[in-house]
Amino acid sequence: MLIALLSIGIGATILAGLVTIYVDVPRQMGAQFRSFGANMLILSDGEKGMSKAQLDKALENIPAGQLVGAAPYRYVRVDMTTRQQSFTAAGTDFDQITKTSPYFSIEGRYPENPREVLVGKEIAETIGIREGSGMELTWQPAAGETAGDPSGDRQPGAILSGSAEGWSGGTVYVTVKLDDSSRIASLTIDAGTQTPEIGGLTQTDDSFNSQFVGKSLPLTLGEDVDALSGATITSTAVVEALNTARNTQSAGTAMTIKYTVTGILATGGEEESYVFMSLEDMAGLTGSDAVDVAELSVSASAEELETYAEQITENTDGVRARLVKRVTRSETAVLGKLQSLVFLVTAVVLILTMICVSTTMMAVVSERRREIGLRKALGASDGSIRTEFLGEGMFLGLLGGVLGAVLGFAFAQVVSVNVFGSSITFQPLLLPTAVIVSMGVAALSCLQPIKRAVAIDPAIVLKDE
Amino acid sequence: MSLLELKNVSKIYGDLKALDSVNVHVDKGEWVAIMGPSGSGKSTMMNIIGCMDRPTYGEVLLDGVDIAKESSKKLTDIRRDKIGLIFQQFHMVNYLTAVENVMVSQYYHSMPDEQEALEALGRVGLRERAHHLPSQLSGGEQQRVCVARALINHPELILADEPTGNLDEANENIVLDLFAQLHAEGTTLIVVTHDPEVADAAQRTIVLEHGKVAREVINEHFDEQQKEWLARLKTENKRVMPV
Repeated sequence: MLIALLSIGIGATILAGLVTIYVDVPRQMGAQFRSFGANMLILSDGEKGMSKAQLDKALENIPAGQLVGAAPYRYVRVDMTTRQQSFTAAGTDFDQITKTSPYFSIEGRYPENPREVLVGKEIAETIGIREGSGMELTWQPAAGETAGDPSGDRQPGAILSGSAEGWSGGTVYVTVKLDDSSRIASLTIDAGTQTPEIGGLTQTDDSFNSQFVGKSLPLTLGEDVDALSGATITSTAVVEALNTARNTQSAGTAMTIKYTVTGILATGGEEESYVFMSLEDMAGLTGSDAVDVAELSVSASAEELETYAEQITENTDGVRARLVKRVTRSETAVLGKLQSLVFLVTAVVLILTMICVSTTMMAVVSERRREIGLRKALGASDGSIRTEFLGEGMFLGLLGGVLGAVLGFAFAQVVSVNVFGSSITFQPLLLPTAVIVSMGVAALSCLQPIKRAVAIDPAIVLKDE
Repeated sequence: MSLLELKNVSKIYGDLKALDSVNVHVDKGEWVAIMGPSGSGKSTMMNIIGCMDRPTYGEVLLDGVDIAKESSKKLTDIRRDKIGLIFQQFHMVNYLTAVENVMVSQYYHSMPDEQEALEALGRVGLRERAHHLPSQLSGGEQQRVCVARALINHPELILADEPTGNLDEANENIVLDLFAQLHAEGTTLIVVTHDPEVADAAQRTIVLEHGKVAREVINEHFDEQQKEWLARLKTENKRVMPV
């Protein structure tokens, strides 16, 4: 009897364990698959790319829990005039890249500061660049791209960058963001080449920085803004750089900025021929913070992904989403195979359990044939013998089911932690499922033994042995 | 008045005639012993009377119903309602206590009633052993529990198969005392035995040989025995409680 209980318990354990894994596998595997890269793309409908606001609005269609990461990209062609080479530069968000493209392998580190870039291995090898090297990139706007009226106000919300020579030949860089009425909303000064305790203070001095806000370009030092005391040369360079930025952008001329390489990127893919920089740096170089595409890593089933993609396309103006079929398809195929494997194993385990329980109950019946004979001699009908054994079997099933649900969850937890490296949540439906299935299995297993018990001749009790 | 009547009953197993045109008649309230050597057909007869088997030919009238023609299900009902069985091997459910064993019989008959079961145990002098397991009881005590179990549903007929076959003399006497008391109360008793002493306690003995009734012996001293027994019961007044 104990053996029967054990076998039902073990059967139910494996059942519960596998069902838990079965239910959890898509989630687990989904997380695993996310390491193979993005499975959804958000693209701009138009030529001009999409704004940050559009992207954020699109992302609202995906539940926060399922969005693993969303990396925006803006691609432009840049030249490295010193080497007479040209590459694709990609502006992105490095925090998100680590989530959507965990397979990126970097020698060095991700850029953290302004004017730092990550260089693809192929480029690095071609031009012999290493971690820590400097790299001067020039962006040449395509015809008509930012051409505007040189004297008029700059495009509202534009980001402009410029540089000018400051103290002892060092370059001072500025990046400025314009508000909706083309006034300065904020600016960043990079005066790293200047004497830190004199010109360098222009980077941090609040009253110096704040006087620019709300002003329109171009500016004149001494009229529109005052120099930082003791750092007139650097202050002059800042104003000059701002004006250059305005003129450069409006004239549609090339922009050249010097970057520092912080790491070499190896992926085995086309990313090796790209230069990666932050979106802010990209905006500084090109004067626009629009993005071309966002790569999304979403932990969801193929059907859910389809729904999200449709919602995004429908609900967000100027944006459409599509799935990376290569990833979603193989994910669905692998999951399907895994689930049918689990299903098969469960079925086999249940059949084995049934055989084991049936055999044990058979032994129990023949062990108790005298007692059964006695009960029948005392007036037990076939029905009551059937009920008693079935009841006993069902009770075993109940106990085994509860035992199995608990042990099975532990089993699934162990498997999950060891195989997938993450814990699983308890499925509340697991307990009733395990109990009902094990009771069903127990009842089925009892059918043959019960048939035998019913067939016992009550006259058995009269024979002396 | 006749309770049981076997008319030309035969039971044939292949070539073997276990019972061969047997005619037996038992009145209500009678105490009858069935004797005979091994293979004489005692067991077969017992099975048929106990509603556990059907004859090949003949009629078996129990309380006016021909049980030879009933279905197994009906036989089970008749057995449960009209017959109390006592076995040589006692046959107790070994994981149930004495009182629970008595209650098993109640369970299949109607409703378990512990008070009634305890009273029945009291009648066989085992009230204080009610919560012992069979393994804690002696053979004689186990057989007395079985007598209590046979009595519990007030059967019309008590059918005992070698009830003292596994008992020593002292316990044999206790069981026979119980039978005498049941007889005094009007219960019909059929006792299958090969022990002449047990047979002698009955009113009438039917002797079977080769599947036929060889002879019937009337116990002429039966009334004296009963008187003696009642007198002894009064003086001893111990194990067997007065009716």
